[in-house]
Amino acid sequence: MRHANSPAPRAAYDGKASGGNDLAARGKGFAAFFGGRWVLIFLVLETVYFCFRSEGFANLNSLQILLFYGVLVFLLATAELFVIVTGGIDLSVGYVLGFASIVSIKIIEKLIAMGLDPGIALLIGAAATLVIGILPGLVNGALVAYLNVPPFIATFSMLGVCHGISELIINGVYAMGLPKLASDIGSGHLLYIAPGGAATLFQKPVVERGVSVLEIVPNIVVVTAIVVGIFAFVLARSRFGRHVYAIGGSMDAALRAGIPVKRRILGVYATSSFLASLGGIVYAFMYVSGKADAGASLLLDAIAAVVIGGASMFGGSGTVGRTMLGALIIAVLDLGLRMSGTPTFDKYILVGVILIIAVIMERYMQEKA
Amino acid sequence: MNGESAAKDGKGFLGTRTGRTLAANWAACFLVLMLIVFSITGRNFLSIVNFQNVVHLQTVPFLLAAAETFVIITGGIDLSVGFVMGLASVGAAKLMQIFLAAGMPIGWTIASAVLIVLAGSVLPGLVSGLVITRFKVPPFIATMGMWGITNGLALKISQGYPMAGLPDVLPSIGNSYLLYVHPGDFISFFAKPVSFPDNRIRDLLRLVPISLPFIIIVLATLSFVLLRGRFGRHTYAIGGSMDASLRSGIAVDAHLIKIYVLSSFLAGLAGVFNIFQTGIGNYTTFNAQYEFFAVAAVVVGGASLAGGKGRIWSSAVGVLVLAFLENGLAISGVQPFYRYIAVGFLLVLAVVIDKLFPDIR
Repeated sequence: MRHANSPAPRAAYDGKASGGNDLAARGKGFAAFFGGRWVLIFLVLETVYFCFRSEGFANLNSLQILLFYGVLVFLLATAELFVIVTGGIDLSVGYVLGFASIVSIKIIEKLIAMGLDPGIALLIGAAATLVIGILPGLVNGALVAYLNVPPFIATFSMLGVCHGISELIINGVYAMGLPKLASDIGSGHLLYIAPGGAATLFQKPVVERGVSVLEIVPNIVVVTAIVVGIFAFVLARSRFGRHVYAIGGSMDAALRAGIPVKRRILGVYATSSFLASLGGIVYAFMYVSGKADAGASLLLDAIAAVVIGGASMFGGSGTVGRTMLGALIIAVLDLGLRMSGTPTFDKYILVGVILIIAVIMERYMQEKA
Repeated sequence: MNGESAAKDGKGFLGTRTGRTLAANWAACFLVLMLIVFSITGRNFLSIVNFQNVVHLQTVPFLLAAAETFVIITGGIDLSVGFVMGLASVGAAKLMQIFLAAGMPIGWTIASAVLIVLAGSVLPGLVSGLVITRFKVPPFIATMGMWGITNGLALKISQGYPMAGLPDVLPSIGNSYLLYVHPGDFISFFAKPVSFPDNRIRDLLRLVPISLPFIIIVLATLSFVLLRGRFGRHTYAIGGSMDASLRSGIAVDAHLIKIYVLSSFLAGLAGVFNIFQTGIGNYTTFNAQYEFFAVAAVVVGGASLAGGKGRIWSSAVGVLVLAFLENGLAISGVQPFYRYIAVGFLLVLAVVIDKLFPDIR
């Protein structure tokens, strides 16, 4: 279940690698200090940089905007982390997200057409989408665990299948037709404070035109924080999580220790797919539309976040917390560039560069440790 | 001998010599089967015009799959090919725009832009290769980083729009045919006779798109390099066992860098061809998934992602399988989106066959 590109010979090759030895000679102090902290330091430096560079970046509101637009990456990165910790990879998350965004809208549309109350329709639609959204992951997991298909190929195929099915459902256009309630939730906030101290939960208070209401914490950020928190707990504290690390550390040892490896791998890919489809629902509520390639460009961001967060592509390491730091680096970059008026094209370049630097840093730190 | 041992494993028919031959060439068999089925279900599927069109439109996928074949044989992967191609395409377009604006003659403009872009297209591969070998970064990550970088650069150059305003002669070179035949009247090479009226062009039989000899020469050269020379031997050796290659004195790092440079160069060539085919500079969109179909073609062609296996012509068969799947479905009136699903199934089938017959080369 090793990553498809890391057969045993490469590992042996890596063992003898001399790359970075000249760096290693520069003393232990540097590495010991920066050790696991370079990501955090980088994030702080990056934030400070954009505070100076981009006007209006340094205030609470842009922090909220940053989190708001970051949720999809947070969810997909968490999904990807579970798989990467086992030494696998899930290329399908982006298109599972798109698939789920379409499925949720179609189901909700049908339910409302049946005469259901919008609130109940949204709830049932979202729940049904989460159930359906696990299916791609179960197929991935079954292919990887039981048929020994390399994760790369299995999830690559699933990417194609999800893309095809999504386009078939929507006939190559967009899925639309969510009730207004959906966008109220998707772009709404937890707490509103009107000038004068009147505070309301969820509902925007009625104020005169032109009076600005203080909006605090977008709803979807709350949902994402709770979900990511739960999965952080699962990975760090539960038996499932321990098994996931064990499998990534050494498949052989995990088998010998009596861990139900195949079932766990199935579970990991199902988790990944579940989180991706939750991302799809969030996307649908945020943008009130669904499309097949909604998450296509997020795959790079998600994997980059995990790798920047210090997880090894060979499995066995990585935490949700550090992955979120990685995701924040990307989110800050994204918003900072947008607010400084630089075309977003630069973001792709920088994410690519940071990704490569992160892996090199990881190697370097490993050799020092 | 191998047949017997496989038969002993209880594989029945699959263990026989015929079964093994079928398994080794399943993609080709599948292609033939598909051609027969689509000839029945699709009107005008079985025609020289349609086949020529398919092959002409697959020139870019052929090049990308060939690039990917080299990388996959070494046990790596190159996710950046699609975006390197896009960067080459918009890069060449930009250069041509600049040169034309500077008043350079059209011939010189095209030639110098193409040469500069082809020379420059080795850079992404050089960087990926250096990162992979010097810092031991997994190829997947290194080329994914390069995917982001090249995509960003291409978007920056093109500002997110296709780049027009290039010489008109480009598409007429890229889409020309070797032979123009008017039955019982005349045969002309390379271009239709000037005297022949444009409105009767459909009466003209156009044979052998210029892209066909081009791609055959490129693929034949690459196949020769892979199967006959030292370069090819080392490529297979590294994919078979990196450790053994190191011990037998192969300069593995240098060779891997060359492989990624070659891959990136072929992607650049694909980008240049793209400009000749369409007449505009195209950046690569996220949902184009060139690298997806390139890797899929190589795997369907029988290569293994674990390395050590794969051939240029087999990958070309893989490209044709995917291409005729799309073309046949479209002509048979099936929605084209089934293509993605079918490719998913084909990939899994390819891996399962690979697992059942691990010793087939």
